[in-house]
Amino acid sequence: MRARVVIATFPHASDLLNAVRRARREMLRVYDVYAPFPVHGLDEAMGIRRTRLPRVTLIAGLTGLCFALGFQYYANVLDWPINVGGKPDNTTLAFIPISFELTVLFGGLATVAAFLLRTRLYPSKQPWLPAAGVTDDTFAIVIRRPSGDEIHQRALALLTECGAAAVTESEADL
Amino acid sequence: MDNLPEGVLETRWITGSPTLKQVTDDISRPMEGKPGKLWYVLFGIAVLGLLDLLAMATWLVANGIGVWGLNNSVGWAFDITNFVFWIGIGHAGTLISAILLLFRQKWRTSINRSAEAMTIFAVMCAGLFPLLHMGRPWDAFFIFPYVPNQHGPLWVNFRSPLVWDVFAISTYFTISLVFWYLGLIPDLATLRDRATTRIKKAVFGALSLGWNGSHRTWSRYEIVSLILAGLATPLVLSVHSIVSMDFATSLLPGWHTTIFPPYFVAGAIYSGFGMVLTLLILTRSSMNLQRYITIKHLDSMAKVLLLTGSIVGFAYATEFFSAWYGGNIYERYHFVNRATGPYAFGFWLMMLCNVLAPQLFWSKKIRRHVGALFVISILVNIGMWFERFVIIVVSLHRAFLPASWGMFYPTVVDIGILVGSFGLFFTLFLLFIRFAPMIAIWEVKGVVTEQAHGTHVAVDTHVIPGSEAPTEASTEARTDAQAGDRP
Amino acid sequence: MSDHCNGAPDKLVTLGARRAPAYWKSPEELRDGPSRRGEFPGGLPALRSLTSEPPADRAPGAPDHAGEPADDHDGTTRRDFLSIVGFSATAATLAACRAPEQTAVPLPVATDTMVAGVASYYATTCGGCASACSLVVKQRDGRPIKVEGNEASQLFGGGTCAAGQATVLSLYDSERLRGPLWQGAPTPWPRLDEEIAAGLKAAAAAQGKIVLLSSTIHSPSLREVIARWGRQFPTFRHVTYDPVSASALRAASAQALGRPIVPHYAFDRARVIVSLDADFLGTWLSPVEFARQYARGRSLDRPASLHVQFEPGMSVTGSNADQRIAVAPSALGAVALALLARIARSAGEPDAAAASAADPIDKALLDTVAAELWKHRGESLVVSGANDVAIQLVVHTLNRLLGNVGKTLDVDRPSLQRQGDDAAMADLVAEMQRGEIHALIIHGANPAFDYSDGPGFAKALSRVALSISTADRRDETSAAVTAVCPDHHFLESWGDAEPVTGYLSLAQPTIAPLYDTRAFAESLLRWLDDDTSHYAFVREYWRSHVMPRQDQLTTFDAFWDATLERGVLELAPAAGATADAPAGAAGVDWRPAAAAIHEDLQRAPGRDDRYELAVFESVGLRAGGHANNPWLLELPDPISKVTWGNVAMIAPRLADQLGLRGGDVISITTPAASLELPVFLQPGQHARTISVALGFGRQAVGKAGNGVGGNAFPFTSVARGARRMWADSVAVVATGRHEKLAGTQSHFDMEGRPIVLETTRAELGKPEAAEELPNLWNERPQGEKSWGLSIDLDACTGCSACVVACQAENNVAVIGKDQVERQRIMHWIRIDRYYHGAEDNPQSLHQPMMCQHCGHAPCETVCPVLATTTSSEGLNQQVYNRCIGTRYCANNCPYKVRRFNWYNYTGNPRFDYHMANPVGRLVLNPDVTVRSRGVMEKCSMCVQRIAAGKTAAVKRGTPLKDGEVKTACQQVCPTDAIVFGDLNDPKSRVAQRASNERTYRVLDDLGTRPNVSYLKKVRHGQPT
Repeated sequence: MRARVVIATFPHASDLLNAVRRARREMLRVYDVYAPFPVHGLDEAMGIRRTRLPRVTLIAGLTGLCFALGFQYYANVLDWPINVGGKPDNTTLAFIPISFELTVLFGGLATVAAFLLRTRLYPSKQPWLPAAGVTDDTFAIVIRRPSGDEIHQRALALLTECGAAAVTESEADL
Repeated sequence: MDNLPEGVLETRWITGSPTLKQVTDDISRPMEGKPGKLWYVLFGIAVLGLLDLLAMATWLVANGIGVWGLNNSVGWAFDITNFVFWIGIGHAGTLISAILLLFRQKWRTSINRSAEAMTIFAVMCAGLFPLLHMGRPWDAFFIFPYVPNQHGPLWVNFRSPLVWDVFAISTYFTISLVFWYLGLIPDLATLRDRATTRIKKAVFGALSLGWNGSHRTWSRYEIVSLILAGLATPLVLSVHSIVSMDFATSLLPGWHTTIFPPYFVAGAIYSGFGMVLTLLILTRSSMNLQRYITIKHLDSMAKVLLLTGSIVGFAYATEFFSAWYGGNIYERYHFVNRATGPYAFGFWLMMLCNVLAPQLFWSKKIRRHVGALFVISILVNIGMWFERFVIIVVSLHRAFLPASWGMFYPTVVDIGILVGSFGLFFTLFLLFIRFAPMIAIWEVKGVVTEQAHGTHVAVDTHVIPGSEAPTEASTEARTDAQAGDRP
Repeated sequence: MSDHCNGAPDKLVTLGARRAPAYWKSPEELRDGPSRRGEFPGGLPALRSLTSEPPADRAPGAPDHAGEPADDHDGTTRRDFLSIVGFSATAATLAACRAPEQTAVPLPVATDTMVAGVASYYATTCGGCASACSLVVKQRDGRPIKVEGNEASQLFGGGTCAAGQATVLSLYDSERLRGPLWQGAPTPWPRLDEEIAAGLKAAAAAQGKIVLLSSTIHSPSLREVIARWGRQFPTFRHVTYDPVSASALRAASAQALGRPIVPHYAFDRARVIVSLDADFLGTWLSPVEFARQYARGRSLDRPASLHVQFEPGMSVTGSNADQRIAVAPSALGAVALALLARIARSAGEPDAAAASAADPIDKALLDTVAAELWKHRGESLVVSGANDVAIQLVVHTLNRLLGNVGKTLDVDRPSLQRQGDDAAMADLVAEMQRGEIHALIIHGANPAFDYSDGPGFAKALSRVALSISTADRRDETSAAVTAVCPDHHFLESWGDAEPVTGYLSLAQPTIAPLYDTRAFAESLLRWLDDDTSHYAFVREYWRSHVMPRQDQLTTFDAFWDATLERGVLELAPAAGATADAPAGAAGVDWRPAAAAIHEDLQRAPGRDDRYELAVFESVGLRAGGHANNPWLLELPDPISKVTWGNVAMIAPRLADQLGLRGGDVISITTPAASLELPVFLQPGQHARTISVALGFGRQAVGKAGNGVGGNAFPFTSVARGARRMWADSVAVVATGRHEKLAGTQSHFDMEGRPIVLETTRAELGKPEAAEELPNLWNERPQGEKSWGLSIDLDACTGCSACVVACQAENNVAVIGKDQVERQRIMHWIRIDRYYHGAEDNPQSLHQPMMCQHCGHAPCETVCPVLATTTSSEGLNQQVYNRCIGTRYCANNCPYKVRRFNWYNYTGNPRFDYHMANPVGRLVLNPDVTVRSRGVMEKCSMCVQRIAAGKTAAVKRGTPLKDGEVKTACQQVCPTDAIVFGDLNDPKSRVAQRASNERTYRVLDDLGTRPNVSYLKKVRHGQPT
């Protein structure tokens, strides 16, 4: 849904962090922050909850493990038992390396897939850039434009105080 | 860059304090401007090697394995030696990007990207050999457990280390590739946004998956990186352990050894770091990136070489000891033959390069002398190739029945394919440093910002939120003191 | 049989009248239709053979297709083709079946018509060498593909030798002559016969000498033909010439017994065998028979026996001797004399002193040997391969004094295996040089190559007005003759043989002649204006001469059919043979011989830098007759393990003195001859003697054999009327060149590993408790059978027949010198040979090594694609079409018995041996897959034979009997060293052997649990 937003750009990560903290203290709704590298401390400042992606890894990994063990057992014992060097059909020890590899494979791929889905990243997606250079040397805060005018003015003031290089307003799909 | 003040070298991973813009510009310059003469020279040589590989491989597949020097006694030689060698090379990349990440080693940021690329290309080279060494490469698909059909027995032999290899190598390659690409995404976005030509815009636009630096994404991104690192670390250990089982699970004297998995992993890291060193020394000068790949990076890698080299040396000693102590006549003969037999030169060369050469790194002077580092890194590569050669050929050529003892003499094709694999590797690598950001721009920015501000405002990009190593604090403090360019 | 044979002609006529049918060569072709134009040179053998016989013995109405163009069969449609296959299959079996009297009787089961894909067996006689062993030939779809020994034969049993095994490949030699030549140009037989008849008339008119120069002829019927020639032409004479002859032995017997004979030896009756350079287990006289006797005589249920061998170079026989003493060829006489002196003394012979000379070797040893001989009077045997009348006379005297004559050697029913007369040959050559010979017929001989003075012979040949050769190719001799009238290969021909007096065998064709050749006997008859066919003549001869000498069967047809089926016939010695009995009781005066030997010894010893050279028949090529046979060229010499060429064997010590390494090329020179050969360091070689194998160095034998090795015949000379097979005052000079030896084994030391285990007769009976190796896993369910092999290392002589037999049975590829040098030999069974003891007098060990069919096979676990697994019957099986060639299995095989196809060895011009040409491929066994490039292969324990045996048993409805299925290596073994069978059946021979106290398994401490077990080598009594 289209919404009006206030975009403040910062040259320095430190000011940015500061601005985020204060903006939230001022009950301004910080929609997101854009930075050329992950600025540490923002998670707490923005109050982002810890992601649940690790669970995906765990489940996928276990699936891989079970599949590998199950398949090898099926192939060697149930489907086509055959005398190989006089060994028993079910040589579980020999199945372990493959099982491990598939655990890792499933876990890894599933995690990345989940990440891309969750963050809606896909090839040739047209990115929405709040300001030029957020992938280079600029940091930007995007705040929902407050309804009340006087709050809005306070917000702009606050951002400028915190050292925003520029504060603009625009519309964006949020 | 060696003329920079010692203090700076001591403490800083990036020389000077470039602005974020400078970082972007410096690192993207090779991709936007023209590379140095050296690059063209190296690339020319590499392509020649690649052509040689194509020619030799064609000849091989057209005529049969007979064009190699193999025989009834020695069924594997250069082929599997090269395979193990290249797989080993690959491991350093994963180690740097994953293990060092877990250990929060900041110095990795300048080198992990190229190291990971090296991993991928090395694994590609390695993957070539299992295919080429088959008597009937066109039937290679037999080795996959595909849906039962008329091709003989239904499934593959899950007891065979070669099948383990198939799974290990392909998993390793996939995960490495994904990890590498994931790391590239933010930089691709950066490049996209500074791209001038339409083609570049299109390409980077497509590859960067619409990345826009949103911090909500960044925070998940970091977790995913950590998870992958956590997966890749045991993976890299497992891969070379499995490769070593190709030998350890057989009953040949010299192969049938329980020490092989750790021994091979250490060797892999050793050879990998050797190769990383070689590459970085070439790259930083051919791409003028001394600022980001500093002597300090080289120095740290030299230390790793010293450590792993010593582990390898210890493994050699252990082998000999258990051969003597175990009292198995075949085992015992094998090791006597290793050191005194017709291939003794290979053994002693390996001792020289893998055990003695790294010991030089006890001296700081040598660790910080680019020339010396380069020479030794080459020695390491040679030594590790010969280690595999000795293990494979010397074990095979004199096994149990003296009546079937023989010798292996390489042919032109053997050597041609070995050389060619280097051609393939360097072609790919040189293309990479020409057309992709060979240093992780966004990670360096993290480090740079940190150096500049020194406080914990912006810190290492990969610290799990809320957990800080106390040692780091002190480091930072020192950093600031000497940097002295705080606003 | 006549009834079903009557059907044949009509079928033949109808088909034959339509088109000369194609002849298929492989199952592939049977399925895919006939192959390219000209693939089968000479067009259609089957049909021509059936129809081009002279009218006399052709069924009325059968047309003559002799004139049909060779390639007429091209473009046969598939339907024609298949019908023709049916025909030619039938026709080939009934090759002689058109007229009732031409029945070739299959053995063991007489089939009236041959079913494609079902093998039939024919008894015949081997033409591979002068021994004339009795054979049974396996014929599949009209092609002989394997020869085996005829177990009905009392002499030879079921065994054969390497050369015999390979004869079937010589049949398919694509370089045989396609037809007769007159003055080098192809000429139809009728014209040729006119020319020759004219030539003979001219010779007869001019009272010119007509000579038949032939190798030993065992065939009584052929001898009858030759006798006729004698009657026809007063100036005719028959000279028998063997390149390696027993001439001196015959001459000695002539002096001692009044008859020029070769005694028939019985090594099995001898408890003490003393051999003076007679390689009776390898090549001498009748190796298969002797090996059989030898093994029987030394079997452990017999009292301990002793075998002492005096010889210059290590021979197969020497490698088996209990005591082997290296002596120079020049010293052999002295050794014989020294023994004679001692024996004579013991025998109280007057003036025994005359024999005494300076002992050439350790006196004590001679005393012991003499003592042992004397102790076992009547059950000892002294033989000598020295072609020297004096020595042979001394040896004969030794046997007489020891009372062996009539016991361990039979002079009443002598051997007829080598009748060559060197003196007669020498005279003939002289006459030829003087131009006194008008017509010369050369049969089975190649003097231009193997005579002492080959070129001289060739030159002399040019002075003969009419020279005729029956060679199957333009060899060194036949290149220079007026007419070449190629004889059949023995597998294409009728015939008979009498290798030992009273032991007859028949020969029958197992395939119609491939080319336009004609039986030698038939040619001889033609030139006497006699149109009788060879077949008719043989049959007639047996009716008139042999039939009367037996009394079992009354009608000739029955007798003929029975004999033909059985293949062999034993007769009481013909009256008069034993005229001068008791043979050799009254001894001849041996003093002249002793004097002669003394005289030789008096000759001043040569300079220090002069050596002696001994030449010997090679086990594979023999005297050179098999020199174009790829199997034999690639057969590792049983001693040196070198293939594709001969070497100069010298003592390691001498090599050190001369600063030579193995492979260094030396030039060996005598005033008479010179030769350059690579050096081979041979343990046990006499310190000052160089040994060189004969049979190599052919120049005009074919693409495989030309220029392989060097010809050592020029070093021989004629002395005292016999060919002296050694030379003295030989100069040796290093040329500085180095040659890679194509050896299959480079390391002869066992490195103290428990690989070949030995025991002694003393230790037998007190076995040490062998601890049972634990099994890590539960036993897997087993099939009802569990196949296994047991190999008796005490019986194995290392003769290498099994290697060729396996190659023939299993389509093992020939890969050539270069590939062998690269250690890529493909043989599924190899014979590992180890030495231990002193380098100058080592003990030798032979160990046949093939896939051990491990219960816990290391090769199987590592194969990624399950291309090798264990069958329910304990076979380790290789699945060619699944194999992707990682070679991991071969690396992990502790026995190194797996063989990889480094290249495509079939139909590949780069490996232009028999498998690269369509004729050569005829020898392939249709029951065994021909392996493609890039796959692993190995011994299958002849799984195809097991399958065939099971099928037969099922058809029969009775269970498979023990010994019914034999592996190729087992069947060929003259000493019965290899036994195959079911380990689950406690009564089977293999199971009983497996429980023998000598049984052990190689490297089983690795936990491989092989199904192949070995019986320890037993060291027999040493002279005390």
